[in-house]
Amino acid sequence: MNVVIETSNIHKIYNETKVPVHALNGVDLKIEKGEFTAIVGPSGSGKSTLLNIIGGLDRPTEGQVEVGGQDISKLNDNQLIDFRKDNIGFVFQAYNLIPVLTAKENVEFVMLLQKRSKKDRDKRVKELMEAVGLGDRMDNRPAELSGGQQQRVAVARALASKPTFVLADEPTANLDSKSTKDLLDIMVRLNKEENITFVFSTHDQRVMDRARRIITIDDGKIVSDKHID
Amino acid sequence: MIPILAWRNVWRSRTRSLVVMGAVAIGIWALLFLLSFSQGMIQSYIKTSIETQTSHIQIHNKDFQRDKEVKFVIDNSAELIKNLAKNDQIKQATMRSLANGMASTAKGARGISIKGINPVEEAKVTQLDTKIIDGKYLSDKGRNPIIIGKVLAEKLKLKVRKNLILTFRDGQGESIKAAFKVVGIYSMGNSKLDQAFVYVRNSDLNRLLSIENQGHEIAILANEINKLDPLLADLQSDNKNDQLAIEPYYVISPQLNLFNQQMSSSTGIITAIIMLALIFGIINTMLMAVLERTKELGMLMAIGMNKFKVFGTILVETIMLSMIGAPIGLLLGWLTVLLTSQTGIDLSTYQQGLDQFGMSGGIVYPSLTPDTYITIVSSVFFTAILAAIYPALKAIRLKPVDALRKV
Ligand SMILES: Nc1ncnc2c1ncn2[C@@H]1O[C@H](COP(=O)(O)OP(=O)(O)OP(=O)(O)O)[C@@H](O)[C@H]1O
Ligand SMILES: [Mg+2]
Repeated sequence: MNVVIETSNIHKIYNETKVPVHALNGVDLKIEKGEFTAIVGPSGSGKSTLLNIIGGLDRPTEGQVEVGGQDISKLNDNQLIDFRKDNIGFVFQAYNLIPVLTAKENVEFVMLLQKRSKKDRDKRVKELMEAVGLGDRMDNRPAELSGGQQQRVAVARALASKPTFVLADEPTANLDSKSTKDLLDIMVRLNKEENITFVFSTHDQRVMDRARRIITIDDGKIVSDKHID
Repeated sequence: MIPILAWRNVWRSRTRSLVVMGAVAIGIWALLFLLSFSQGMIQSYIKTSIETQTSHIQIHNKDFQRDKEVKFVIDNSAELIKNLAKNDQIKQATMRSLANGMASTAKGARGISIKGINPVEEAKVTQLDTKIIDGKYLSDKGRNPIIIGKVLAEKLKLKVRKNLILTFRDGQGESIKAAFKVVGIYSMGNSKLDQAFVYVRNSDLNRLLSIENQGHEIAILANEINKLDPLLADLQSDNKNDQLAIEPYYVISPQLNLFNQQMSSSTGIITAIIMLALIFGIINTMLMAVLERTKELGMLMAIGMNKFKVFGTILVETIMLSMIGAPIGLLLGWLTVLLTSQTGIDLSTYQQGLDQFGMSGGIVYPSLTPDTYITIVSSVFFTAILAAIYPALKAIRLKPVDALRKV
């Protein structure tokens, strides 16, 4: 089996000096290639904190994070940025596209940072935009797209860099049920057909129903871990 | 990608950006006008100074320069004058005799410098004849005619056709007293000059000084002010035993350089002030841009844009924002200079104040050299880079997690 994420005994304490908040209290987690994993739990349980640490956006107070066998706690800020660029695709709750760039340019952006060739970029942008069902909206800016469409562009952008896995913190929280279904259909399909690893957090039962593994955390600890077949 | 992103970001807050562009345009315009105006003042000052005082080149006996004694006349002056007349780079040369002394009337006495001139030649070199405001210019008619400045006339209560007594020493150190008759009163538009100098015929002065057909000073007006150096070299090569001091106007009148320096340091200060005002405007705008894009910048760093590139984007955006207004300012400034350099700017209302600086005519013709445009554009560019630093540092100090949490 091919482990893409492995954490051991992660602790995260916010405000260590003032009023300490123990957001994570020893999380051990292993995620393998091709998983479609939901992280669920009540508000304030530490879902976002965990995703941020796995994604190299934040550092654990204690413990280790390995992505693709590499210990990312040892990287400095700029090395982490480079690491994220090549290894992790992000989908944010609030879409967070670059408003002055078109859908096509948003998807292309990370590939430009990766210095990929024009031909390569054009081919992949087209592929991905078609995969998320927006082949005809390439030249629209985010403001000209619906929330659901923007989030689909965000998924395309996350996949553009050919990341090791895609992290999504409540990707459907701002979407209506139709858009939620569309987005999940796309994610499930990409997961099945292209074996792309997705890790996402959610509150939404309909989203949990589509997951193949559900990790529940409460008070910064994993309280259950179910595989669904 | 960075230039495209930066360019589109510039136009995100259209009004805000237009305000900065307008400020840059107006700043450049104002600066160009100011610089051209002070350049015009300097040129007018130099021109006046050349016309009324120094000419382009002056020749003296070196000994005369040391102590202004009557006996230190220019050797072989007749031959020298003849040679100068043949030189085709010279428009006109004229010889003067000089003496220091006193002018006195029943109303009082003043220390003055007496210039013995050849009226016809002098008029061609300094246009002294055009400066007469009352009476007539010197001619070969009459006995011991003299023209005096407006200020001296007031001080000594002299009018045309009145007499005054000049007292001075001749070549042997004998004291001479002679009566002269005022035929004209001049004004050079400079109160100091109008008090210091009186003009008589050199034939009269030379007779009194017993230095017949000789003189102390040759003033030369060249055909072209820009070709003084070859002319100087030419004249110097004839100066065999190095008895003569041959000097261009800027050596004779070092205050020209001083004035120039003062002008350029004050324009430097004004440039700095305008740039300072611009820098704060630009910093403010870019800071707002960075702050309202906190979340976006956090996202960019999250998905892999490194700090170097983020810094670069802000820098390029700032430069674009600052430079877009520049061509407009340059164009406006250029047109203004073009227009005013034709029409001139009438300062006659301020004539009295300008007198103190030796400015006359009351009309300043602004002028600029092309390198001024380049200097200004580069200072705006440099200002933009300085202004970018703080907002760009603010941007790269953002932590993606915190930035993304912002709503
Ligand atoms: N930057 C921070 N500083 C201090 N405390 C924080 C910070 N971020 C999160 N916390 C705290 O850490 C705990 C876990 O927060 P986290 O955002 O991970 O929860 P969550 O499970 O994502 O909740 P939600 O479902 O509401 O998004 C909470 O108690 C929260 O208040
Ligand atoms: Mg959360």
